[in-house]
Amino acid sequence: MTQVDVRQRILSDNAAAAAALRERFAAAHTLVLNLISSPGSGKTALLEATVRALAGGLRLGAIEGDIATERDADRLRALGIPAHQILTGGSCHLDARQVHGALETHDPGPLDVLFIENVGNLVCPTSYDLGEDFKVALLSVTEGEDKPFKYPAIFAKAAVTVVTKADLLPYVSFKLEDAREQVAALRPGGTLLVTSAITGQGIAGWCALLEERLAAKRGAAS
Amino acid sequence: MHELSLATEIYRTCRATIDARGPGRLDSARVAIGELAAVEPELLVYAWEAVVSGGRDAAARLEVEWHPARQTCATCGEVRERAPGNWLRICPACGGPVQIAGGDELDVIDLTYTSDEEEAAK
Repeated sequence: MTQVDVRQRILSDNAAAAAALRERFAAAHTLVLNLISSPGSGKTALLEATVRALAGGLRLGAIEGDIATERDADRLRALGIPAHQILTGGSCHLDARQVHGALETHDPGPLDVLFIENVGNLVCPTSYDLGEDFKVALLSVTEGEDKPFKYPAIFAKAAVTVVTKADLLPYVSFKLEDAREQVAALRPGGTLLVTSAITGQGIAGWCALLEERLAAKRGAAS
Repeated sequence: MHELSLATEIYRTCRATIDARGPGRLDSARVAIGELAAVEPELLVYAWEAVVSGGRDAAARLEVEWHPARQTCATCGEVRERAPGNWLRICPACGGPVQIAGGDELDVIDLTYTSDEEEAAK
C-alpha cells in the first residue's frame, strides 16, 4: 500500500472555473451578484422591482437557477431583460461551470449588472464561488428573525443582507432589530437593507447600492 | 444536501492522483472538513459509499478530519466555551470583535492505494 499526499481543495475545479468567470466579468466591467435565500423569500420579486426601478438606466441581465421550470426567467424576460434559466434537475446549488455554460450558450450581450439567482437553499450554495463580486442573502419577514443564527454560514459570507416582504411586518411577529443584531454579529460592517417589492420600500436604496458598487468596480479597474 | 457533489469531486481527485502514477486500487482517502463549510461528515461518508459502490474502489474508506473554527477575542483572549455551530463574530463576554481563524477547510489531505504491481506481488 502506498500513501500519497494530495493537499488539494475539494472544490478546486469549481474554484478555477470561478476565477475564469471573475476575469471575464472584470474585462466586461460587469458587476455580478450571487443571490442566495430560502425558496419563496422573494429573489425574483426583488429582481422584478429592480428592473422596473432601473428601466432605461443600467443594462441588467439574469441567470436563474431552479430545479425545474422556466418560470423565473420568463418573469424577467417579460420585463425586457436577458434572462437564462439553468435547470439543475434536482441539484441544490449552482456551480461555476454551469454559469460558464449558460454564458457560452446564451450570450446576454454587454451588461452593467448580472444577477445570478441561485437555487432556493440557505446551505449548499454557500460553498460554491460563482465568480461574483459579492453574495447577497435574502431574508423574508415571514421566515422569522432567527434565520441568521440558524444558517450562519451564508449570513457571514454575504456582504449584503436584504430583508424582503417588509410590507407584511404589521402582520407577522418578525423582530427586525433582532435580525439586524444577528446579521451584525455574523458580518460586522455588512450592509442590511429593508425592502418590499410590493410597496417599493427600500428599492431606491438597493438600486443606489448597485450603482455605487458598479462605480467602485469600474473605478478600481481604470 | 450537496455532500454527493463533494463526494464525487473527492473521488475524482483521488482517481486522478492514482491514475497519474499507474494502475491501482484506492484503499482510503482522508479529507479535512471545516466547521464553517456547511458539510455534514456523516452524510459525506454515506455519499462516498454511494459514489464508490460497484467499482473496483468499492471498499475504499473515507476518513473525515473535523476542523473547528478558532475564535479569539481581541480583549479577552481566546473564546473557548461555545456550542458547536455558534461562531459569532462578537464576543459573548465583552461585546468586542472576535477574530475567526480556520474552519473553512474543504480539502483532500492524502490517500492510500495499492498498485496493480503490489497486488500481483502478493
